[in-house]
Amino acid sequence: MANYSDLEYLRLSKGQRFAYKLGHFFTSIPSAIGRLFANIGRGIGKGVKGIGKSLGDIGSTFRNGDGITKGSFVIMGLGNLARGQILRGILFLLFEIVFIFYMVTTGAYWLSMLPSLGHQGPAQEYNPIYDTYVTTYHDNSFKILLYGVLTIFFIIAFIYTWRVNLRQAKINQEMREKGLRIKSGKDDLRSLVDESFYKTLLALPLTGIIIFTVLPIVFMILVAFTNYDGTHDGYFNSLFSWVGLENFNTMLSWEGGGNVYSATFGEVLTWTLIWAFFATFSNYFLGMFVAMMINKKGIKFKKGWRTILVLTIAIPQFISLLYVSKMFAKNGIVNGFLMDMGWIQTALPFFEKAAWARITVILINIWIGIPYLMLIVTGILMNIPADLYESAKIDGASGWKQFTKITLPYMLFITGPYLVTQFTGNMNNFNVIFLLTGGGPTNPNASGASGSVGYTDLLVTWLFKITTGAESKYYLASVVGILIFVVVALITLIVYNLLPSVKNEEDFQ
Amino acid sequence: MKKVLAIVLALVMVFGLAACGNGGGNTTPQNNTADDKPLAGTYKIKVWAAENNQDLTKKQIDDFNKTNDMGIVIEATVEPVSEADAGTNMITDIEAGPDIYWFAQDQFARLVNAGALDKLGTGASKTVAEANDPGVVAAGSINGQLWAYPATSDNGYFMYYDKSVVPEADVKSLEKIIADCEAAKKYFAFEAQTSAWYLASWFFGTGCKSEWEMDNDGKYTGVKDDFNSANGLIAAKGMYKLVSSPFHLSSSKGAEFESGAAVVVTGMWDYDVVQKILGDNMGVAELPSFEVDGKQYHLGSFNGCKLVGVKPQTDPKKGAALHQLAQYLTDYDRQMERFNTLSWGPANLKAQSDDKVKANPGLATLFAQNAYSQPQGQIHGSWWDIGKVIADDVKASGGTEEGLKKALQNYQDKIDALFAMSEEEKNAWTVIGAVAGSNWDKDFEMKKEGENVWKSVDKFDLKAGDEFKCRQGKNWDVSIGNGGDNYKVEADGTYTIVLTLSGDSGTITLEK
Amino acid sequence: MSKKNDYDPSEIQKRMGMKAKNRISNTVIYVVLVIMSIVWLIPFFCIVFQSFRVESTWMAGYVFPQKWGFDNYINLAKTDFWKWYTNTFIIAVVVAALQTVIVLCMSYTLSRFRFKIRKGLMKFMLVLGLFPGMLTMIILYRVLKDLGMTQANAVPGLILVYIASSGMGYYVSKGFFDTVPKTLDEAARIDGATRAQVLWKIILPMAKPIVIYTILTAFMGPWGDFVFARYISMNTSAGMNVAVGLQSWLSLDQINNRYTMFCAGGVVVAIPVTILFLCLQKYYVEGVTGGAVKG
Repeated sequence: MANYSDLEYLRLSKGQRFAYKLGHFFTSIPSAIGRLFANIGRGIGKGVKGIGKSLGDIGSTFRNGDGITKGSFVIMGLGNLARGQILRGILFLLFEIVFIFYMVTTGAYWLSMLPSLGHQGPAQEYNPIYDTYVTTYHDNSFKILLYGVLTIFFIIAFIYTWRVNLRQAKINQEMREKGLRIKSGKDDLRSLVDESFYKTLLALPLTGIIIFTVLPIVFMILVAFTNYDGTHDGYFNSLFSWVGLENFNTMLSWEGGGNVYSATFGEVLTWTLIWAFFATFSNYFLGMFVAMMINKKGIKFKKGWRTILVLTIAIPQFISLLYVSKMFAKNGIVNGFLMDMGWIQTALPFFEKAAWARITVILINIWIGIPYLMLIVTGILMNIPADLYESAKIDGASGWKQFTKITLPYMLFITGPYLVTQFTGNMNNFNVIFLLTGGGPTNPNASGASGSVGYTDLLVTWLFKITTGAESKYYLASVVGILIFVVVALITLIVYNLLPSVKNEEDFQ
Repeated sequence: MKKVLAIVLALVMVFGLAACGNGGGNTTPQNNTADDKPLAGTYKIKVWAAENNQDLTKKQIDDFNKTNDMGIVIEATVEPVSEADAGTNMITDIEAGPDIYWFAQDQFARLVNAGALDKLGTGASKTVAEANDPGVVAAGSINGQLWAYPATSDNGYFMYYDKSVVPEADVKSLEKIIADCEAAKKYFAFEAQTSAWYLASWFFGTGCKSEWEMDNDGKYTGVKDDFNSANGLIAAKGMYKLVSSPFHLSSSKGAEFESGAAVVVTGMWDYDVVQKILGDNMGVAELPSFEVDGKQYHLGSFNGCKLVGVKPQTDPKKGAALHQLAQYLTDYDRQMERFNTLSWGPANLKAQSDDKVKANPGLATLFAQNAYSQPQGQIHGSWWDIGKVIADDVKASGGTEEGLKKALQNYQDKIDALFAMSEEEKNAWTVIGAVAGSNWDKDFEMKKEGENVWKSVDKFDLKAGDEFKCRQGKNWDVSIGNGGDNYKVEADGTYTIVLTLSGDSGTITLEK
Repeated sequence: MSKKNDYDPSEIQKRMGMKAKNRISNTVIYVVLVIMSIVWLIPFFCIVFQSFRVESTWMAGYVFPQKWGFDNYINLAKTDFWKWYTNTFIIAVVVAALQTVIVLCMSYTLSRFRFKIRKGLMKFMLVLGLFPGMLTMIILYRVLKDLGMTQANAVPGLILVYIASSGMGYYVSKGFFDTVPKTLDEAARIDGATRAQVLWKIILPMAKPIVIYTILTAFMGPWGDFVFARYISMNTSAGMNVAVGLQSWLSLDQINNRYTMFCAGGVVVAIPVTILFLCLQKYYVEGVTGGAVKG
């Protein structure tokens, strides 16, 4: 791919310019990926350096510390308590006590079981007195994994807090030596509504995110390395254990028995991407088109048209989509109507054949998506500076030209990030597929893969089907989940690296 | 100025953890009365029954409380969960699941594998097995051991039709029915494309079988499946006749009669709906026959049933009381009561021969169809997914012999793959010999504990002079004992057997 | 709305000949809009018609009932429907309130403060958001179960899960705050206001559209959740939300008796959401355009 200077570029014809831009988009993908890895590498390097520095600092704190600071290594909060910061000191101390109590009572057990995920499964014994079988349950792999991970989180939190405690002891010691006033508990509290107000604001949301998002994700990632499924549920039937990379091997290897899975994965991924592309852009352009029609000067009942379209947003999808899917069934009212009118002799296979089903879901998705897009586009259109159009009119530009030269570029620029989220959102658009087709029609090539994959299944509906399917292969569901993440993350990163409008958030302020 | 936030956050986590520690306790019987009534007590239990069966089940539990002479008092919450959903829901969370539940037979194997069913005691097994239809008893058993109580034997399907479209004279021939439907532009609803349960009908009609083998714990060990055979090909040809018709509808809902269907293949559960829609025009019949190469084949079917299961219990007393209740709920009188209120066809032999039961037209048809049906047996959970695509494959084949053969081959490949072992499993080492009561006829699992170290999962009580070997892949291609000979135990004791490999050879050691 | 909206070339159209062309194009637009309206409304009306059907209770192949009546609506009272409805309403109200607070805290902070881990935090949350939510369903269920918040107690459990992760949805309202000039804050700070006072007294009153937008989306979410809520309530009627409850009527043993009631229930669910949405549509547009796309 040639690189043109500005002058050379301007000499190109329209088609050449487009080809040039398009080519550059794709040729920049490898470098974007390269940059990504470089960034990750740099991040890791920074982290390692940070830890090294931290260790050095801890060493020097100990060497230079007085008795109180040294004591803080064992009794957290000593450096605060002894120097008048009662509130902080008590919090530190309390945390240490709770941590030690937890570790001694239960934490140590979970941690020690984590490498094996349990030794003894349930056992059944015949009880002749009652003529019945009695079951005794023992270790619980699921709980071991869950609380093991929680314990590790807790230990990390402890180490971090311990480190903070040391730093404070050191600072307090230095300030005392220099004769400066040490902040009191009152100062701390006041700062929480002022310069450190952000800590107050973030405390609650971040706690929620850590417990209900980060922890579950870490857990489920770990599940991908075990054999946790319906017949190894870790408690009621048999324990599960670590299996290393075997599950990824099953899903991705191209040889041997794993063949069905890798082929299925490839097929589902391809359709997921096609679907996301069409679902996103068909809605985008048609929504824009509808919004412009309604907004056109001289069109009456603007509010009325909008309201009619918006009604579809208000009805929960599990009702409207289920009904729509029934409408397009072989003996549904759409086919019935067409046959009554004599336009067709036999029913159209809307959901029966792969290609038909795929096109049908994309079309029905337009029905769902246009109202949203219409609302958004309406808002943006109002914000386009009117003088742009004024000057265009003076230049005698036609309506079409105004659209391609002003409206569209403006829209694309403004909605770039929105398009990316829409795209990834559509990749995970569970409701539409699940309620309309349930993934069907079935795909004979994929029948051996867990979860009965169909031609309209997305990765995310497949994930759901594996989870709730006949064998409940949670470990495979996890693998699929991780792969979805990888794909979505790659797309997002690449596009974000190429999009101008997200790079500089300050530009808009 | 540091990180009060970190502390708060950590504290929240601690309290979260503390709260997590409380598991749910089990209800135990409250009072222990005299020894002659060892089961006396009050038991709080949870029951799942289908919505239409909910009130009747409540009533029957009340009756049990009034009539049992064992002093058992059951306080039951009955939640509406259909037999079809019970398996999946149960497996999702066994702990929160019910103590007693109704389920459709196709979930039996999954439930056993998931540890969600409690075996019947010897006494109960005998009584239940004698009283009920052998086909249904087999449906709730693995290698002769009962795991659930047979409750109905009506979970099969037959044909409902609209007499105004399909004349009674035509109902025996698939070809004629299809022609009638096409002429009237009405649909023939047969859920071949989305359900292996219905689809199997074609293969059973030509004498094909799919029989699955299990070990005593309910794990599948193999399958005898001949769908991919000459007879299977005949079945596929017959199936093509229906699925290639533009008026074939893959559905099994009785209400389809209101949406342009003239024939629906479904079961007893849709009887009332169809009767309301069609009125006098309703006809019921066995499934028809189809013709291939001048020969007639009567469509087969699955002869399914509903079962009542008991969740495994840690308290023997509660377990025994639950089994008493489950047995009561499925005895002759209760099955008859259910027939009288819900028209559920009984599994009890005495009830099946009752004149009133025989006089029910739907059940009569179902029992007639049973002559061509196969008991559902224990079918692998994945089979339902693998089987149901045959119809789509057959439809896409265009009806050519080659295409149909390919469809069947595809099916067989997928079935075979179920039992294909991973490389690792194939290369696993096992212990075999005169150990733990076996005599060179059973492989004991070993687990990889390091790069070249394998350890037996169980500990063995070995006597001096016992002999064994370790072998790879459960065959004798590669085996290690004392060199090539058997390993001989030198002193009595309880040992873990450890195999340390080095290249092609290895050494066995015993660990106390 | 149309007043501000003068991007189209009205000046040029004033010329002779253009008027006729304009009339034709307007007619075409009207035709398209009418057709669209019909297509968009058909399913809506079909569902309403089904809900008034009295003569049968199963799925029917025709649209217009042979006998009209309110039976299905009246029968709703004989089931747990209103229990589910109340559950959902409670969830929706509580989630709307708490989620709004959390989202505003989060977005305001990320828009206004510059602290060490800010960029990292935003990237981290972006990455977290890329995991499919379906993935963590099993484990969330188990965590909630250990906290005693499943089955009959599913309502607090669902509230907890919905709001716990809501901080990650800060993106739209951060975009909005980014458009509010920083000079406002600075002026107030110079006058001696604390950060908390700035947020409370200056920013919030200006953020009305985004507040309403957040409330609206948070309120609407719980009405349609049938996958996760079903997992959490685990067949216990007392803990179901309206979507899960209605879905249970579609199971094989109930559909023949309950299908028309399912439609009636759907209509009852749609009513509050529709009214709310229509009333607050303006804010929805302002919020989403002001935030999502930084207009």
